[in-house]
Amino acid sequence: MKLLNPSRLLHATFALAILLTGTVLSNPYDLQLLTFIGIYTLLALGLNMLMGYAGQISLGHAAFYGLGAYTSGVLTVHWGWSPWAALPAALALTALVAFLVGLPTLKLSGYYLGMGTLGFGIIVHVLFREWSSLTGGASGMVGIPPLEAGGIVLSGGRGYFFLVWLVVMGAFVACERIVGSRVGRALRAIHDGEHAAAAMGVDTSRLKVSVFVLSAVFAALAGFLYAHLVSFVSPESFGFMVSIKVVAMVVIGGMATIWGALLGASLLTLLPEWLHVFSDYEMIIYGLILMVVMIFLPRGLTRGLLDIYERAKRSSGTSSASSES
Amino acid sequence: MSAPNDLPERLPPLLKVESVSKSFGGIQALYEVSFQVEPGAIHAVIGPNGAGKTTLFNCITGAYVPSGGRILLDGEAIQGRPVHKLVERGIARTFQNVALFESMTVLENVLVGQHVRTRCGFLGAVFQWPGVRREEREARESAMELLRFTGLEDRARLRSGDLPLGWQRFLEIARALAARPRLLLLDEPAAGLNGAETEQLADLMERIRQRDVTLLLVEHDMSLTMEVSDRILVLDQGKKLAEGTPREIQSDEAVMAAYLGTE
Amino acid sequence: MQELLQYLFSGVTSGAIYAVIALGFTMLYNATELINFAQGELVMLGALTLVSLWAGLQLPLPAAFVLAVAAVCGVGLLLELLALRNVRKPHPILLVLITVGASIFLRGVAMVIWGKDAHGVPPFSDHPPLEVGGATLLPQSLWILGIVLLIVLSLQFFYKRTLTGKAMQATAINRRGAWLLGIPAERMVLLAFAISAAMGAVGGVIIAPITMCSYDMGTLLGLKGFCAAMLGGLGSSWGAVLGGLLLGVLEALGVGFISSSLKDAIAFLLLLLILYVRPSGIFGSGAVHRF
Repeated sequence: MKLLNPSRLLHATFALAILLTGTVLSNPYDLQLLTFIGIYTLLALGLNMLMGYAGQISLGHAAFYGLGAYTSGVLTVHWGWSPWAALPAALALTALVAFLVGLPTLKLSGYYLGMGTLGFGIIVHVLFREWSSLTGGASGMVGIPPLEAGGIVLSGGRGYFFLVWLVVMGAFVACERIVGSRVGRALRAIHDGEHAAAAMGVDTSRLKVSVFVLSAVFAALAGFLYAHLVSFVSPESFGFMVSIKVVAMVVIGGMATIWGALLGASLLTLLPEWLHVFSDYEMIIYGLILMVVMIFLPRGLTRGLLDIYERAKRSSGTSSASSES
Repeated sequence: MSAPNDLPERLPPLLKVESVSKSFGGIQALYEVSFQVEPGAIHAVIGPNGAGKTTLFNCITGAYVPSGGRILLDGEAIQGRPVHKLVERGIARTFQNVALFESMTVLENVLVGQHVRTRCGFLGAVFQWPGVRREEREARESAMELLRFTGLEDRARLRSGDLPLGWQRFLEIARALAARPRLLLLDEPAAGLNGAETEQLADLMERIRQRDVTLLLVEHDMSLTMEVSDRILVLDQGKKLAEGTPREIQSDEAVMAAYLGTE
Repeated sequence: MQELLQYLFSGVTSGAIYAVIALGFTMLYNATELINFAQGELVMLGALTLVSLWAGLQLPLPAAFVLAVAAVCGVGLLLELLALRNVRKPHPILLVLITVGASIFLRGVAMVIWGKDAHGVPPFSDHPPLEVGGATLLPQSLWILGIVLLIVLSLQFFYKRTLTGKAMQATAINRRGAWLLGIPAERMVLLAFAISAAMGAVGGVIIAPITMCSYDMGTLLGLKGFCAAMLGGLGSSWGAVLGGLLLGVLEALGVGFISSSLKDAIAFLLLLLILYVRPSGIFGSGAVHRF
């Protein structure tokens, strides 16, 4: 049954859907929109590992997003590196920063982590804005080169669409594997009861920092893809509201489901497109989403709906066996 | 039921608690408590509420750092060491108010218990090297074995938070055993269990002892304690009141005085 | 020398504001163990409401002051009643996200009501700036210091001399014990929300004349207030005051001697430093200190 298990089927169907969409769609605007959804899914996926599985919070994740983008930007624009060489550098630098920030703050409780990450996000934002010689300051940095693969220049459009979604699919698989493994169980244990997890031998501090770094690396990867897609970065794109947007995506999609990241990213990228007045009410909507979802459906839309479905099933007489891994 | 006289003489104690004290601000929870636990024994700690029993447990497992004294496991001082490190050294525990990982299944809880006996990390999980797959398979097999040992094998896929209390307590024990401890601390394992379940618990404890695991338990259920224990330590208001075999404790006047009016 | 004095004046002024915001955080934390991420927005609402009532509707200052504080109090109470009270399993992450959501929501509402522009109000009194030791001291600064001092003294009186104040302390130390004694915990929590919101509002009202009031002024103020509270030791009221003043002065000195564009970064670097080195702050939060 290995080949046809539901997970493989889902992945295969999804890959097919991506293939079809990418081939059939010709409108460049739509393609780019869907590419952005992919980039945001990557962001949400990383943050989901931190928030949904390990139960920690980060209110400054846009900082890592920005670090990935700016590092690659600076290396390629100022020092003429090839983007493919800049990628590992950007990821490594972001991982290092995440490690240094996470080490002290993850030892503290939820509130302190929230405030600490919030503050960190703002410091980095100030840095992007003020270090003009390196980052171009408030007006940003232009001229970021597009990516090239085997002689083909990927400057937006179909090629980039497939690249981003390929990365996203890889990230899905990686996350699923992590969640179903020893490490994933340890993370979920931390979320359910940190003291009990420690009593079972889990090095909670170390694991929390590790998953924080992991989520930062995902964000940096998303930043890299973003920078080389739009070839321009400015501090605006990495401010507080972006951090909140990613949190809202994770929250609405469902904090402990991997596909929830896709749902959240899609919803919150498409919503501004469909509601043209969105930008005026953007904050009200995000604020309401966070509050309402956290109060009524704390496990997010995906899990919340599943819960309602399961409860309905149970009350109609079937057995109460749940179907986790 | 137990056979204390089978224990060889002169075996060094597995656990030695030397004059351990613990105070919180102005409150002295433990005051110079000393005792030792022989390997293979079932050792109970009893006392009225507030006597300091859970505090003692927390000191042994590393959750608290004692204000004074030493705790030795196989002759090596362990007081103040981080909790997760002590699991590697062979100490595992259950909790007074059942601390299961409620969103995870029964099997998954036991698998977490095996955390220190397995090694797969992030990279291993992502790339699924052959060694990782084998480790995961073996881990599941031994987890299932522990579930069979505690009678939970049919409930492996149920959400642990949904289990009734009795089964939750047994699951906690299975989870603690997964770490292959030498010393297992049970914090009020019989609380909330009915008569039949308590009997099963007593039986389980004896079977655990047969697996070369030493048991240290805190209990309020007197008949269970008297039935299974080799030695009993009585605490009262943070101090050691008495220590001895069940028969000795039952006829100790100071112990009876401490309990009269409290229960 | 007069430069230093100048920095000191502006530092103490902003420090007093941070202090009153920090007190809001501390008081709520003491009563509920909750950190209200929306505290900064309550400050903002206090300021903007004053703008509308005083400069807009031309109400007399005392009336506008009181009404603004009352209105924001109401918002704080609504937050507790509608959003926080009903959370079934208060995992810290949930509470953080709810108050973060509330803060964003309030910003959004403020943007819709007051737009993106900055508004201003005249200072409370018409006096020209004073000359002290060669440095300029704004009369508004004196208002600020005076009002904050009044608040601090009132809080001390409240805690030490009134039954309600003592009841709130009792609830903070041991909720169940207090409840057993007949102290209604839920009402204490509401009171704590009301008072901490009021303090945020007052902070906004008194700073309104000397700052640009806009919908997004709350985020930074809230964070700095929190930083001040942490600096002094979360849970200690005197710590909040001291932390606020210290932060204000350090910030002013930093702006003066290093760079003004990094002003905001100073507070956060300090925050990270505190979290790293000594999370219990100056007065420590091991035992819950109040006045």
